[in-house]
Amino acid sequence: MFKDLDPILHSQLRLAVMSLLISVKEAEFTFIREKTNSTAGNLSVQIQKLKDAGYIDVTKQFKDNYPQTICKITREGVAAFENYVISLQSYLKKD
Amino acid sequence: MRDEQLSPEQSLQLIQSMINKTRQDMSDDAIYFLVWGWITFIGCTGQFILKNLVHVEQHYLVWWLVPVGIVFTIWQGRKERKNQKVSTYVGESMKHLWIGMGISFFVLSMILTKLGWGSPVYPFFIMMYGLGTFISGNFLRFRPLVIGGVLAWALAIGSVFVPYDYQILFAAAAILISYIIPAYLLRQRNKSVHS
Repeated sequence: MFKDLDPILHSQLRLAVMSLLISVKEAEFTFIREKTNSTAGNLSVQIQKLKDAGYIDVTKQFKDNYPQTICKITREGVAAFENYVISLQSYLKKD
Repeated sequence: MRDEQLSPEQSLQLIQSMINKTRQDMSDDAIYFLVWGWITFIGCTGQFILKNLVHVEQHYLVWWLVPVGIVFTIWQGRKERKNQKVSTYVGESMKHLWIGMGISFFVLSMILTKLGWGSPVYPFFIMMYGLGTFISGNFLRFRPLVIGGVLAWALAIGSVFVPYDYQILFAAAAILISYIIPAYLLRQRNKSVHS
């Protein structure tokens, strides 16, 4: 079932993260956590998977002495997201 | 949110809802339009009254409101940057557009200082107000700003046909139509989106 759909993106939380990042320039980890209503632990794991796949860039820095993690979609990530949406549309047409 | 497998329909719904969430989080640009709208509107009408009705020689001193606006903009910008958790392309584009517009207004003022302020300056200022609001309206997908920009361009042309002292009233009208009224409508839209 859904064998053509990119397995990295075809998961609820990872898809939510990518959908957020596709429409912004960059976003803080805390922003993504609030919007996806996820736990920090689970979100960290899924962000790492997206990073390993080359779909997002993760930058860790300090802002006013507080650690800050910033996520940004990569060109490969945009392409993968577009392909995923095209595959979804073709599935929906089949139905 | 848990990590679950989705049907294609659920995937599309999820994508749509997440994109909507980022749209709701766009920063409140209305405050800048309001502050600068009122500063320039008071500047234009104040200068007209001081020059033509009260006959004050140093009528241009009313423009000392501009540095107040600059200080407020820097302070507000810093405050927003401190709390900013997300950076959008629209936000970045708006920032660069209005920094560019501000520099252009400054350059135009410098040119006119050399040429003499008696030259017909206001049509150029009004034209630039139109340009800024027209582009901003399209960035924000907010029609009142786009319409305001078009009307400002019409006022820029119209102002050429009136005496110099009255051109400033055309500038005030352009600011009211292209900045102040759209800014209140934008604020209303932002409030309804957030609620």
